[in-house]
Amino acid sequence: MNTDPTILQYFEFEFVQRALISALVVGLCAPAVGVFLVQKRLALIGDGLGHIALTGVAIGFLTGAAPLWTTLAVTVAASVVMELLRSHSKTSGDVALAMMFYGGIAGGVYLTGIASDKGVANLQQYLFGSLLTASWNEVWTIVAGGAVVAALMLVLRPWLTAICADEQYARVSGLPVAALNLLLLITTAVTVSVSMRAVGLLLVSALLVIPVVTVQQFTRSFKATMFSAMGAGFLIAGAGVIASAAKDVPPGSTIVLLGVAAFVATALAAAVVRRLRRTRRGHLPPEGEPLEVELPASSA
Amino acid sequence: MPVLNVLGATVSYGGRAVVRGVDLAVAPGEAVALMGANGSGKSTLIKAVAGLVPLAGGTIELFGAPQKRFRDWKRVGYVPQRTGAASGVPSTAAEVVSQGRLAHRLLGMPARRADRDAVARSLAEVGLEAHAHCSVDTLSGGQQQRVLIARALATEPDLLIMDEPTVGVDAETQAALAAVVADRIDAGCAVLLVTHELGPLTDRLDRAVVLADGRVVHDGAPPRPVGEHADPAHQHAHPHANGTGGEGTDDYWGGR
Repeated sequence: MNTDPTILQYFEFEFVQRALISALVVGLCAPAVGVFLVQKRLALIGDGLGHIALTGVAIGFLTGAAPLWTTLAVTVAASVVMELLRSHSKTSGDVALAMMFYGGIAGGVYLTGIASDKGVANLQQYLFGSLLTASWNEVWTIVAGGAVVAALMLVLRPWLTAICADEQYARVSGLPVAALNLLLLITTAVTVSVSMRAVGLLLVSALLVIPVVTVQQFTRSFKATMFSAMGAGFLIAGAGVIASAAKDVPPGSTIVLLGVAAFVATALAAAVVRRLRRTRRGHLPPEGEPLEVELPASSA
Repeated sequence: MPVLNVLGATVSYGGRAVVRGVDLAVAPGEAVALMGANGSGKSTLIKAVAGLVPLAGGTIELFGAPQKRFRDWKRVGYVPQRTGAASGVPSTAAEVVSQGRLAHRLLGMPARRADRDAVARSLAEVGLEAHAHCSVDTLSGGQQQRVLIARALATEPDLLIMDEPTVGVDAETQAALAAVVADRIDAGCAVLLVTHELGPLTDRLDRAVVLADGRVVHDGAPPRPVGEHADPAHQHAHPHANGTGGEGTDDYWGGR
């Protein structure tokens, strides 16, 4: 085997270490938020916030402020507006979201055009991720943000599960539904802004969703889904960075492609397992459920 | 003091009044059925009582407090109209039932022994203790409905609000659920139940309130089954029973 020494050599480069640490943190934390988004059937919200984040990045270019902080401000503001639209408008909520997402992309491209002297070349690293040029400062920001996000999601898991699974029931229980919804969307915004360095704005939604839908084919409980999704995200992100370093391609693409491959493989495996179980045991109906119809007496 | 006092409640959807000036009082330990045809406004009224749809007029008092200022929601157990207990991410029956204890827990605090005991007890009451760690989407429709009822019981409510809890549930499960609810009534829990069929659950009722076109047309003794309905062997045919999920009578009255 001559590949092992080559992979080990990569870890001697400091930029690979930085890339690996930030990707592992994002891989661990993004699914912790994503599991609630999948539960709430808002799996694409990360993608939408990624579109809006583009405007934040462009504002950073234009003002000379650090793009991470301008992105954070823009996406958090957008998530507040989205939650207000979602809870207060019934018919046009969908349309309003579409307007925000497309407006976000157009605003980003327009503002980058104005700041063309420094922006355009840099935009690609935010769209597709540029872990390999991150500084140690950025890595520590990712680690700190990730720790806060993961801690919040783990501590509030039962409450967030309740509002995501059955919002009406949660309201009748007297839970602070509006505040928890807002918290979930703001956390999503923070995750998107902080992880744009790792996987890129266009692909960030993938790390929120793919690990969750991959593991939930085998899990039975929400708790197990959440923890194993975090584990799966950790592995996928780590493997993706190593693969991207080896091939010298943007890490976002390898991380997401690995995730999609993992999903397809587990979906096939799950289908095979289900088929085997069914043929081996026979498909017995659940117990305690008598037939509701009366079978006609055989007239023989 | 009634646990629930509705005075002149009016609810409208898009300018059309669905519930018109309804008065309804439920005393502690009293079991009341809300009946009526599809579109009579019974589900809307119960949603208004639960605080899920706003009132256009009138007042609702829960345990003597105006609904807007009522904070003690852990005294209310709610069983929503059947939409299935399953959702996007797998959850076990025990996880769904433990949602009924969240009102008793401080935000961010772990579950205490009393919470875990209440969850186990409620699951046992509805006969699902063996399925506590099964994913709810592998359970049958009747079992999922029992999970939702166990969730409401886990709250240890003084008022149990149920929106058509027996739709699509087989006769045997209906009888078992009726026994569970009767136990709670005997223990002093008031029950407000939306139903449009007479069955085991309605035998234990103190009163029935019948709505027609959003108004109360009867408030008194529960109706007795007549004709072929009085025959215990009579089978009701429900067009939406045992459906593939997501069905309900919501469609008949224009969305939820």
